[in-house]
Order: sequence, then C-alpha cells, then structure tokens
Amino acid sequence: MSGRAPPPEAVRLLSFEDESRLFVKLRATLALETIRSMLSDARLRLSLVVLLSALFWAALYGLFVEGFGFLDALHAEVISLLFNAFFASLMVMLVFSTGILVYTGMYCSPEARLLLTLPVRAEAIHAHKFREAMWFSSWGFVLLGSPMLTAYGVVRHAAWPYYVVMLPLMISFVFIPASVGSIICTTLVAWMPRLRLHAFTIGVTVACVGAIGLGWSMFSQARVDSMSAAWFERTFARLSVTEQKLFPSWWLSMALIEAARTERDGTLMAASLFESLKFLALLIANALAFQHLAGWVAGIAYRKGYSQLAGEIPSRRRRPLWWFDRALGHAGFATGRPLRLLLVKDFRLFRRDISQWSQFAIFFGLLGLYFLNLRAFNYHNAYASMIGYLNLAVVGLILSTFTTRFVYPMISLEGRRFWILGLLPVHRDQIVWSKFLFSFFGSLGPCCSLVLLSDCMLGIPWSLIAQHELCSVMLCMGLSGIAVGLGAWMPDLRESSPSKISSGFGGTLSLVISSLFIMATVIAAAVPTHLFLLTHTLGPSVISSHGILAWAGGRWGAIAGGLAVVGLGIAATVVPLMLGLRAFRRLEA
Amino acid sequence: MIEFDHVTRTYGAKTAVSDLTLAIPRGELFALLGPNGAGKTTTIRMLVGLLHPSRGAVRVCGHDLVKDPRAAHLHLGYVPDEPTLYDKLTGREFLWFIADMFGMPQRLATDRIDREIDHFELGEFADDLAESYSLGMKQRLVFAASLLHDPDVLVLDEPMVGLDPRSVRIVKDLLAARTREGMTVFMSTHTLAMAEEMADRVGIMVRGQLRFLGTIAELREQMALESTTLEQLYLEVTSGRGREP
Repeated sequence: MSGRAPPPEAVRLLSFEDESRLFVKLRATLALETIRSMLSDARLRLSLVVLLSALFWAALYGLFVEGFGFLDALHAEVISLLFNAFFASLMVMLVFSTGILVYTGMYCSPEARLLLTLPVRAEAIHAHKFREAMWFSSWGFVLLGSPMLTAYGVVRHAAWPYYVVMLPLMISFVFIPASVGSIICTTLVAWMPRLRLHAFTIGVTVACVGAIGLGWSMFSQARVDSMSAAWFERTFARLSVTEQKLFPSWWLSMALIEAARTERDGTLMAASLFESLKFLALLIANALAFQHLAGWVAGIAYRKGYSQLAGEIPSRRRRPLWWFDRALGHAGFATGRPLRLLLVKDFRLFRRDISQWSQFAIFFGLLGLYFLNLRAFNYHNAYASMIGYLNLAVVGLILSTFTTRFVYPMISLEGRRFWILGLLPVHRDQIVWSKFLFSFFGSLGPCCSLVLLSDCMLGIPWSLIAQHELCSVMLCMGLSGIAVGLGAWMPDLRESSPSKISSGFGGTLSLVISSLFIMATVIAAAVPTHLFLLTHTLGPSVISSHGILAWAGGRWGAIAGGLAVVGLGIAATVVPLMLGLRAFRRLEA
Repeated sequence: MIEFDHVTRTYGAKTAVSDLTLAIPRGELFALLGPNGAGKTTTIRMLVGLLHPSRGAVRVCGHDLVKDPRAAHLHLGYVPDEPTLYDKLTGREFLWFIADMFGMPQRLATDRIDREIDHFELGEFADDLAESYSLGMKQRLVFAASLLHDPDVLVLDEPMVGLDPRSVRIVKDLLAARTREGMTVFMSTHTLAMAEEMADRVGIMVRGQLRFLGTIAELREQMALESTTLEQLYLEVTSGRGREP
C-alpha cells in the first residue's frame, strides 16, 4: 500500500483541549462513582474516617499552635528557617515520589496500555496520569500542611488574605517538584531504560552524601548550648543550604511569611501582601512552565519509553539471599512450615520490589542521619527526655506511613493470587498471621536501633532507654496489628495497585488510627517521666501540691505509664487482628 | 491495509521477531499461529503501536505506527488478550468514553453504541458498573468498544478467551460479516479450529520467523499431507523435526 487512507467516516482526531476535557470528565465520573459507592455501601466507615481525620487535623493544629507560639516567643527568625528546611525536604521527597508514581501509572498500568492504543496524544495521557500521580504524592502534604500553615497564621494574627493565598501557594508549589519528578522519570525510561535503577540509586546516594556532609559539618564543630544565641547562629549557618533563593521552597516560605505579616495594630500590611503575591505569581509561572515542559518531554519520550521498557528482559536469577530464605523455611517445627514459607515469600517480594525497600531505606536512613547529628548539641535533662520522646514519635509516625502504604495492602494484593493460596493446605488465619509477623519482625530491628541511636546520642539514662525500647516494640507490634488487621477486615481484592488500596478508605482509617495510637503511647510513656523530671529540676514543691501529679511523677506513675504502653500495644494488636481474622475467614474469594 | 516491512524486534540479545515482511489486503481475515514465545504477541503489539520495531516499519492504511500513531489508531480496533476496563464506569459509559476519544458526533455515537450493545447482547448489564462483570462480559464489552468506530483493521489477540459458546458464535458471525464489508482482521490464536474455519490465510510463526504463509489448502499441498488435520500440520511445522513447507 502506498497511499494513506483517509480516516473512517465520522471519526476524527481531537484537539489537545478536547482530549484533556475528556480525561477530566473521566476522572470526575470515576471520582463521583467512587464517592457514591462509599456513601451507599460504607456510610459508617466514611463517617468514621471523616471524624477521625477531623480529630487528627485538630490535634495537629493544636500542636502547631503550641509549637509556633513557643518558637515565635523564642526567636521569630527560626520560623523562616524551619519553613525553608521543611519545604526543601518536601520538595526533594515530592520529586522522588511523583517520579515513582508517574512510572507506575504511565508504564506499568493496564490503563496506560489501553490509552496507548487509542488515537490520543501522548501529552494528554501524560497530563491525565500526572494529575493522578500528583494527587497521590501530595495529599499528605495538604493534610499535614494545612493545619501547620493555619496555625502559623493564627499565631501571627495574619489577616484574611493570608488564608486566601495559602492553598494556591501550596498547590502551585507542589506542581514544580512533581513536574521535575515526571521529567526525570520519562527521560530515564526513554533514553536510559537499563540505567533507570542505577540513576535512581545514584540520585539517592547523592542525596545521602549531601545529608552526611551536612551532618559531618555539624559533628566537627565545638559543642554549644542549645537554644543560645550561638546555637541559633550555628544552626542558621548550617541550614542556610535550604535557603537558596532559586529554590521554590524559598519562594513558598517567603510568600507565607510575607502574607502573614501585619501592622502593629493588626491591620493588613499592603506592601507585604504585594510581596507575597509576587512570590505566588513566581510559583504559578514556574509551575505552568515546568508542567508544560513535562508534557513536552512526555510527547517526545512516552511512546518510545513505553516500547523501550517493554523490550527489557527481567533478570531471571536473583538469589543473593537464598540462604536466608532456606534457613527460614526449614527452621522450627514442621507444623509451622506453611507460615514460614509464606513469610519467605513476603520477604522475597519485599527484596525484589525496589519501590518498597528504597523508600524504607531513604526515610529510615535520613532519620538515622538526623539522630547521629543530635550528638552535636548539649541538652539539659528535660530537653533530652522531651526530644527522645519526640524522636520516638517520629520513628512511629514514619513506620505508620510504611505499614499503611505497604503492609495494609498486602492482604488485598493476595486477591489476585487467592486461587493459589485458597487451594493450598494453608489455613486462612496463617495468611493473616504471616503478614503480621512479616511486618512486626521486619520493622522491629530498624525501629529499635533508631530509637537506641537517638537515646545514646542524647545521653539518656539506661532506665529511660529501656522504656523507649519497650515503647518501640509496642509501636511495631501495634502498628503491624492495625495495618494487617484492617487490611484483612476490609480487603479490596479487585484492586491491583497498592498505592490505590492504601489511599482508599481503609488505608486512611489505618493511618488515622495508627497516628492516634502513636500519640497515646508516647503520651502515656512521656507524662510520668516529664513530671518526674519537673520534680527534680524545679523542686518537689511544684508538684507535691497536686496529689495526682505527685503520684504520676513518682515510681507508681512510671509503672502505670509502662503498663498503659503495654496495654495500648496489646489492644492495638489484638482488636484489629481479631476483626481481620474473623472477616477473612468469612471472605468469599 | 496492514504492512510489515522487514520488521525486526529484539529484546536485548534475544530476537523476538526477525525480518517479518507481510502484507494483508482489505477484507482479509488473517490468523497468526505459533507456539508460546514464537513472537505472536510482539507482532500484535507492534501492530497496535505499543512496541516500536527495532528495524523496519509497520503501517496501517499507509500510516506508520511509530511516526504517525494517532492517524493509524483512527483506523484500528484492538481486542487485547486481557480486557482492560474502568471498574467504576458502567459498560455504556465506557463505550461513550471510547466513542468520544474517536471524536464521533453525538447522534452517530448513540446509534453505534446501541448497535453494538445489541450485537453483543450487552443490554442486561450495560448500565452496571464494570467491576461486577465476569471475564466473558468484559470481553464482549471490549469487542463492542473496538467496533464502535467501524475500523478498517481489527486486531484480535486470543479473542475467544473467556467467551461462552454463544458469544463465540456471535463473534464469529460478526467477523465474517465485517470482513465481507471490507474490514481486515488480524488475529492471533491458539484455537486451530477457529483459524481453520474462519481464516482466509494463516501465518505460522516459530522462534520469531514466519515459517509458513498461505491458505490451509496451500499448507496441505506444500506439506504433501492432503488428508491430515490442521492440528497435525501445525505440529509438523512448529516441531522443528518434521518437514518444512
């Protein structure tokens, strides 16, 4: 055939705008239908999630109001530093997370395969999948950022324009790192498909080396008292790397600080607002430019990349840890072998899924670096104890994001393989227990080590270290119980994407309950210690006038706190697991 | 309608399709046969633009699938081996999405959607969410979607998987009618009986190479096995032991 045939009758190529409109319509229909299903099938669950999310938001808001109030009174410039450090870290994380999600959505999903066989522009498919990736990677930022920024506005007595520009600022900021992540992903896949893992590793290594360099610079300096003027000066100098004026994180920080500024009498400061709007315009312009660039790159690279990636032959022999699998499979009694074999399978899948262990390594690695750097400061006992508990909470919160993101979907993901497991001589309970043991033992080592590192760096006494370790064990156990129990209680056996499972109703509920559990555990352990330290630093007269406080700050208070931690840990493990086991036994695959 | 012009596709050091040259004219139903790993799926994926050839070109109605994929896709309908649908769309909504993607005018789209719902007997569940469909129902819906725009070329990858005997009959009748009207069908299948019953020509692929191309009668003639079944002929060609055509 030499000539090109005209298109069939009444069929035509759409404009880019029409294609985008169709994708927006599709997304809206899917979202509406999802909400409708939730409202009709799971009204109670939905109400619970909304209620708990509101409580979570309010608790965060209260925490941030206290925090900003403290910092504002202490040293107002710290807030600028904190904003820069926070948004700069977030920027790096958004680049990685959006890149990974764009990769999953555009190259590994069945939907992409369908869309690539339709007469649609690659740019339009990219825009559609990019919006999805951006939503999944940034909803956490909005959930955490909105109470934080609202609290900042309230503490600074910001005028109403601050609250109006807050959301546009956050959204336009998110677009920039997300677009960069997308550009990196599509470029790597199209032109370096075999190098994409190496490039990813190099990126992570460079980030880690940078963080280690920063940590080393902190180590190598003489110790100074925390919260002193010298301490602030040194901290400012050290973190000035995040205050680069070319970073979108700096634009966002400045825009927020300027928008919150008011006259002495509390009225709106027009010049500051104008300054803030200029930063907003800068963010929006860059967001549009980067998104346009990402679309342009996708237009050139997407189809080529998809084809390149499909041309790769997966490596067939991966047995570097075969001895571990064999040892685990054969250890112990024969009756427990099916359970151990399920564990071997899960450890094997974890090792071979780069998206799981790389994120685990990045977050826990960065946390480890932060803990290593704690030694550069001198802390009073009360501060050291408080920071120790905060670190414990941070370890728990990061673990909870992992249990929600990776452990919660595990039971649902077995849906596709249910016919295999269902036909094996394995009791369904063993499937649930294997997931729990995998999560519990998998998290125990990293979490306990991190907490031990933090405590050693802070110079905390051994009695407190033992208490923190007990809390760590309970947190690992409880968070694993919540994720596995809820995952088995409300599995989504039809969904194959773990990110979609974890960001659904059950995943959100798991995250909210996990956060409440962490807060309750840390408070139960911290309050008696804090009261004890107050008695010893401020003198017994402060506490002794209040009977219950004196009791709580004494030996019995510490014992009660310990018992409460154990009780909470057991409850968080047993209750969800019982619910999950019961539901999973009744499940019809 | 379909042209493979010296097409080679490699996966690293492995050659999945080697120097494939093949032209399929308007109105022909072509069946591609071959054992697992012969390169059938790679060939189909290049034909629908999911894979780019390492060398050579694939054209549909004169449009190169790499250089001008959108224009080529206007002429193509594709039924993959695993149907992909949106769980939270109803069958009818999915058909509308596909019709809109092909830029079909509203009135025509309405008529065609009703026509395909009728052809594939989707009426009972067209307004249910796709998440409630069985594999066969999904496959029928994907068939309906692929025919909405009356494509010049229909590409089918293992089309009968999951279909019940009645649906198989519907599909066979429809393919026969459409090819009579001028539609070209490129089908990959392991169901030899279907190829024997429906195909104008068959191609037998072995280890990336087209070992045979022609009608069943020509295959029998070349193999000098007049009275044997297609199954026996197929096994002879693909075994690597027996006579080559």
